[in-house]
Amino acid sequence: MLTAFARAFKTPDLRKKLLFTLGIMVVFRMGAHIPVPGVNFKAVQACVNASAKSGNGLLGLVNLFSGGALLQITVFALGIMPYITSSIILQLLTVVIPRLDALKKEGQAGQTKITQYTRYLTIALAILQATGIVATASSGALFGSVNCDTSQIVPDQSIFRIATMVITMSAGTVVIMWLGELITDRGIGNGMSILIFTSVAAGFPSSLWAIKVQKGWATFAFVIIMGLAMVALVVFVEQAQRRIPVQYAKRMIGRRAYGGTSTYIPLKVNQAGVIPVIFASSLLYIPGLIVQLSGSTAGWAQWVDSNLVKSDKPLYGGLYFLLIVFFAFFYVAISFNPEEVADNMKKYGGFIPGIRAGRPTAEYLNYVLTRITWPGSLYLGLIAMVPLVALGLFGASQNFPFGGTSILIIVGVGLETVKQIESQLQQRNYEGFLR
Amino acid sequence: MILGFSIALIFFSVMMVVLVLLHKGKGGGLSDMFGGGMSSTGGGSAVAERNLDRITIFMGVGWFACIIILSLLLKAKNG
Repeated sequence: MLTAFARAFKTPDLRKKLLFTLGIMVVFRMGAHIPVPGVNFKAVQACVNASAKSGNGLLGLVNLFSGGALLQITVFALGIMPYITSSIILQLLTVVIPRLDALKKEGQAGQTKITQYTRYLTIALAILQATGIVATASSGALFGSVNCDTSQIVPDQSIFRIATMVITMSAGTVVIMWLGELITDRGIGNGMSILIFTSVAAGFPSSLWAIKVQKGWATFAFVIIMGLAMVALVVFVEQAQRRIPVQYAKRMIGRRAYGGTSTYIPLKVNQAGVIPVIFASSLLYIPGLIVQLSGSTAGWAQWVDSNLVKSDKPLYGGLYFLLIVFFAFFYVAISFNPEEVADNMKKYGGFIPGIRAGRPTAEYLNYVLTRITWPGSLYLGLIAMVPLVALGLFGASQNFPFGGTSILIIVGVGLETVKQIESQLQQRNYEGFLR
Repeated sequence: MILGFSIALIFFSVMMVVLVLLHKGKGGGLSDMFGGGMSSTGGGSAVAERNLDRITIFMGVGWFACIIILSLLLKAKNG
């Protein structure tokens, strides 16, 4: 294991990629600490400390994805959230709009076009969200009912100053997007997910330490052991897959024989990854956002505020769970098309032993996939529920480090990246990290 | 002074947005963001892309410098 790390750094081009990725991560974290010009840093700091004590529920998720940069109103305050949101929107729209569906089927060229649309939409969303945050920050609503001097957060409230802040924050989001693309291009792993990983991991030590300070060493040790067990469980399920055997017919092309090999289609238990959790939490975040932006105190607004904002409410928990299960099935349905796979297999002379090629194969794949997704989706829902349980047991804060979205993201991205490093290593040497 | 740097910051921000949009988008959306084991196809960047990178980095450094200078100026003014 350790020698594999040493070898990764001895290989020149792999070392270059690793250092490049680390460098970008450093730039990203640095930007997450520089406040937007026009914000009074001391006043913000005072409010952040005050709100950490009272536990502001609504912005928890967004704050998690920006690594705590959002509440501090820094240059990179929006983080990758606009990009994620716009990817989700385009992903959902491919089901609805035929033109996007056609682009998706086109393969590489169409995919590039969809990515380009995603980037345009990201900028629009970034401007929208930046305006929202700057507006709520200058009116003091960003920190909700926390008692601190909110009038001092944005001392100069002229239109020109506010506009500069909005434009700077939108540009910050675009810079993050570019940093992510640079990692994808020249570093290791997928840039966007590595940046999310960085933000989520950045909040880890402080929230762990908060548990120690509040509850003492015994609970701290218990949480660490629980956390390690959870990581092991998540790795176990993430790696789990059903291998459907496929036999290819032998054929002669010219003088050489092709095919005749037997392989398998790997169907992962959790084919959808963390996406359902992100979808569900983004959706549940919307009603609270509407209430906060409208500032309404009508009956419905109060109902939303008391039922759908804090994650320790039973209604919130139940909805969250159901949405995750639904999106797990939904995402598997749009990302894996049994008919297409069956068609491709037929074209290249492959078949599943005991099942006819063509439609019966597609039906069989669909059957197995649906059956395998049940435990997968329930597992996702349960893992996402862990912070709620922790909330009940220890009164931990909502951003409980080991659970839900954060642990799925950390383990998922970690596994993916290690696999990529490993495949690079194997080009030179067979022994890697995972055996 | 503050006005000048604010205008410079707006200029740099807009330029950053335009320059980043000029780059070719990398990565195929959500599906290979989490899970989905496809590795991205390499393909070295063209000369134009490399020059674009250089200009973008240059603008990015200017953008960062503007933010820091403007923050310091505003802090000095507001006390």
